[in-house]
Formats: sequence, structure tokens, C-alpha cells
Amino acid sequence: MSGGRERWVTRALAATALALGLLAPLAGSPYKANHSTIDVAALARTVAREEDHVTALELAQWIKDRRPGLRVLDVRSPEEYDRYHLPTAERLALDSLATLPFHADDTLVLYSEGGAHAAQAWVFLRALGYHNVYFLRGGLYEWLEQVMNPTLADTTAPARDAFSRAASLSRYFGGVPRSDIRTLPADESIALPGAPRATSTVPLPARTTSARIDAVRRRGC
Amino acid sequence: MTAPYFELGYFGARGALVAALVIGIAFGWCLESAGMGSARKLAGQFYLTDLTVFKVMFTAIVTAMLGAFWLGRLGVLDLTRVYVPETYLVPQLVGGLIFGVGFALGGLCPGTSCVAAATGRLDGVALVAGMWSGVLATGLFFPALERFYERTPRGALTLPQLAHVPYGVAVLLVVLAALGGFLVAERIEAKVRTSVTPAAPDEMRRTVAPVVEGVGA
Amino acid sequence: MIARSVDASPRPYANPYVAGVALGLVLLAAFVVMGRGLGASGAFASSAAGVVAAAAPEAARANSYFAKYLGGDGPWLDWLLIEIVGVGMGGFLSALVARRLRLEIERGPRLASGARLTAAFGGGAVMGLGAVLARGCTSGQALTGGALLSVGSWLFVAGAFAAAYLVAPLLRRLWT
Repeated sequence: MSGGRERWVTRALAATALALGLLAPLAGSPYKANHSTIDVAALARTVAREEDHVTALELAQWIKDRRPGLRVLDVRSPEEYDRYHLPTAERLALDSLATLPFHADDTLVLYSEGGAHAAQAWVFLRALGYHNVYFLRGGLYEWLEQVMNPTLADTTAPARDAFSRAASLSRYFGGVPRSDIRTLPADESIALPGAPRATSTVPLPARTTSARIDAVRRRGC
Repeated sequence: MTAPYFELGYFGARGALVAALVIGIAFGWCLESAGMGSARKLAGQFYLTDLTVFKVMFTAIVTAMLGAFWLGRLGVLDLTRVYVPETYLVPQLVGGLIFGVGFALGGLCPGTSCVAAATGRLDGVALVAGMWSGVLATGLFFPALERFYERTPRGALTLPQLAHVPYGVAVLLVVLAALGGFLVAERIEAKVRTSVTPAAPDEMRRTVAPVVEGVGA
Repeated sequence: MIARSVDASPRPYANPYVAGVALGLVLLAAFVVMGRGLGASGAFASSAAGVVAAAAPEAARANSYFAKYLGGDGPWLDWLLIEIVGVGMGGFLSALVARRLRLEIERGPRLASGARLTAAFGGGAVMGLGAVLARGCTSGQALTGGALLSVGSWLFVAGAFAAAYLVAPLLRRLWT
């Protein structure tokens, strides 16, 4: 290539790159457009087979194992998210659902306070074509119950096994397992910071998730 | 029918390997044609005498980046199905620093060393052997490195996600930075060209000939 | 075919920007056809895994780095390994056509051949360590990850260039 021709070619390439670059911010998202189809039969089958949700303990294990491609998505408001959210959770704004770039093979787990919004978001994400989508059926409440404050239900052997597994998982996340059966279930108590594990409890009035979140926050999660 | 086509099951494992070979041939051809199989040329990057490495690398990055963005935007390529390398902040930064030292020492990178070796450069062969040994040794000592290796994972984190800007904005910024870099590179090379004495190129040629005759004997 | 004396009139190198665009299109083709990018150091890792597995199968399987390459069709049919064979072939063909095939040891004017080969081996070994830690090299991380705007890849590129520029003044004897 002669010198002059070469200069022309490189100038043309640079101009093309500049043009394509300048247009890029105006073009919107490069991720696949939101063509969504709701295959009711398929979704209903998934729900019937209970493959649409995970338990809090399963999710806790996935988080602890750093399951590849796991994305934990909180569909509540920004204020609620800032107050407390699951470890590694990201906030998912429902109104921007259609344009989010999750990798097709990611494992998406949705949760909300009680589970209703998460279940709705589950339908939307499945409609957008993502396959590995689950939600926490009991929501944040289930997380606090099962993971942060697992309780020994009764003294049978299987119950004790289940409890000890849940307890070790719980401690990984800074939770406080409760094995003192005498304070269950009428007493809505939650162990407070600094208290020796599982035996020292202080009764608290409220049953709501909000109170439990406050108790957890006081421990500085 | 959106790309990536492999994901659609158009061809199986054998087809993928055929694609690998063809893509590799094209890759190697492009590298050699630009002179990236020459350690002396590559090393010129770090003495500011020959900035070909920078030009080729960043032109390629910008081209593929723009291509991926626009094919994605046009719906031809499903970007969510393209594998984005996962980010591990500390190991990749440290790995990069270590890699840079080796690069300055050896004058070739893993890909270009294969080109060099395939075109007769024995220093390329030595570098391939060294690289292989280094990877082997690192792998054998991996248990000691594993904790460091797994530090600071961030998943498939991209610059637009990190900076909370739209993808297109990040694309534009990279294009502008690259074009700016090319202008600076041209200026640096022009300055060096005018200050290099005519004798230097002959010196280089005299160095090559005795080596060749010695090797051929 | 391989010249034993200095080559008669090798063709000049291609314009770096044109070659860069071509390289970028090859990378884009990989995205479109395979949904993945290019690489090089992975080929070294899988062949190393293959050799370790041949010598000591249990040890290879127990090593969490090598074990990754032992699944599927095995380390010798690793995509990157086949690709890197292609890279060699492509480089050879390009040099053949351009009359740039030459049996030689490229080195700076002040450096002896033996020292050059030692430096090349050593530099390669150091790059091997860096590439393992970074999960790739200039092909896999800089080109592929760079084009896909991966944060870790850009960190790698920044680190590699920074370190090379910092160390180069100490290595003038090798190249100038």
C-alpha cells in the first residue's frame, strides 16, 4: 500500500470508528430486545413441580458455596434494600426488568418481603427467556426464620440433624441459632448481640419482619 | 436465529474444533502480517521506538467492541450468551504486573511466541518452552496460590456496570481514548524517527546475518 | 523452503491499523460463531494438564487447577489448544507468502544468542505465572476481555503495560 493510500485508509477507519462510537450512546442497550412470551403451560408445570422456588437454607448454601453465576435479586424498594438485604444481593428495579443484562445461564434468585413481588418477577424473567430463575417463597421473612434464627423444632433425631446443619450455615452468615426449646414458640424472642449463643434471649413485642430486621441490624450485618 | 451459532446447536464439538482451527489460522496470519512475531519489534513498544503493539492491540479491541455492541443492538448477536471473562480484581491486577515483567524480559507474549516459533525464530521456541514450564510449575504449586487466586471475585463485571453508565457511553469513551492514544503514538514515533541516525538499521542487519549462518551450520 | 541466508526482499509488514481491524474482525467472528473469544495461555494450561495427567493421573485430578482441563473431551481436544495450533499455522503461512520465514534468534545488538534464549525462557516462565493468576494473557484477557469491557481484563492490561514500561529501562541491554 502506498503512503498516501495508506493514510487515506487509516483516516477512513478512524472516521468509521468515531462515527460508530458517537452513535453508541444514542442507541440504547446492546442486549437482546425484550421479546417476551409467556408459555403458560410450561410455567404452570414448573410451579406444580415446585421447581420455581428455593428454600432459604438452599439459597444460603448456594451463597456460601459461591455458586458460579448466582445472582441474588432484591425486588423491594431502595430504602428497604438499604436497610437490610441478603448477603451478595443486588437490587432489582421491577420497572427496568425488561432491559437487564443477565447472562443466559446465570442462576437468578429473587426475593421480596413476603414473596409475592418476587413471584411476579419470576414470571416476568421466565417470560424473557431466562431458565434458571427461582424465588424465595417465604421472602425475607423465611430467610430471617430459617437462616438468621433457625429454631430447633423438637427433640427428635431428624429434627436435631436438620437443626445442626441449619445452625452451622446460620453462624456462617452471622445468625444466631436458637436451641432453647423452652422459649418457643409463644415467646417471639430473638437473641441480641453479645449474648451467648442460643440460650440467652430477650423477649421482644413485635412479630413483624420489621422488628426482626431491626434486631439483626443491631448486630451490624 | 441469533448468534452465537454454536449455542444454537448448529454444529457440535467437532464443528467447534474446526472453527477453532480456522479462527486460529486467521488470528496467527493477522499477527504475523503486522510483524507481531518479531520480538525486537514488540520490544520497541517499551522503548517508544515502535508502537505497533499498542496500535494493533487497541485497534483490534475497538473493532471487536464496536462490532459486538452494534451486532447486539441490531439483534444479530445475543450478547448475554457471549462469555465475558470473570473479574477477580487483585489476582488479575497482580497477574498483569507479573506478566508485564515477563513480557519486557522475553519480548513476546504467548500468542505471538507461537507465531515467532512457527516462522523460525528460535527465541520464540525458547519462550514457548519457558511459558509452558512456568504454567506447569504454577499449576503444580497451585494449592499454595489458590487462596490468593480466588480473592476479590466480582463475576462478569463490565466497565459500564461498574461506572453505572449505559453500555454505549462506555463504548464511546473507549473509542475516544483509543483514537487519542493513536494520535499520541504517531507523534511519539515521528519524533523518534527524526532522531534515529541512519546507521542504526544497518547495525541490526549485521546482527542477524552471523546468527543465521551460525545456526544453519 | 526455509532460507538459510538473509532473506531476499521480504515483504513489508502490513499497516498496524489495518491488521488490527482484521484481528478485531477475527475476534468478532469468534464471538458470533462460538460465543467466546480468543486465547493463548489456556492452551499451555491444558497441555500441561494433559502431560501431568499422563504422568500421574490421580495427582492431576487432585490438583484443582489442572483438573479443570481434564473433563469433557480431554485436555488434548481443548478448544484453545486447537486454536493455538491454528495460530502457528497462520503465522507460518503469512510469513511464507511474505518471504519472512527465517531461522534465526532475534535479539538486541549487544546481546549474545545464549543470553537471549535464556532471557526468552525466563520471560516466558514469568508470563506463565502471570497468566495463570490473571486467567489469561494478552489474547484472552487484553483482546477478548478488553473488547467485552470486562473490568478485570482492563486491570490486567493496565498492570501489564505499567510493569513492562517500569522494567524496560533496566533491561536495555536485552534490546538496544
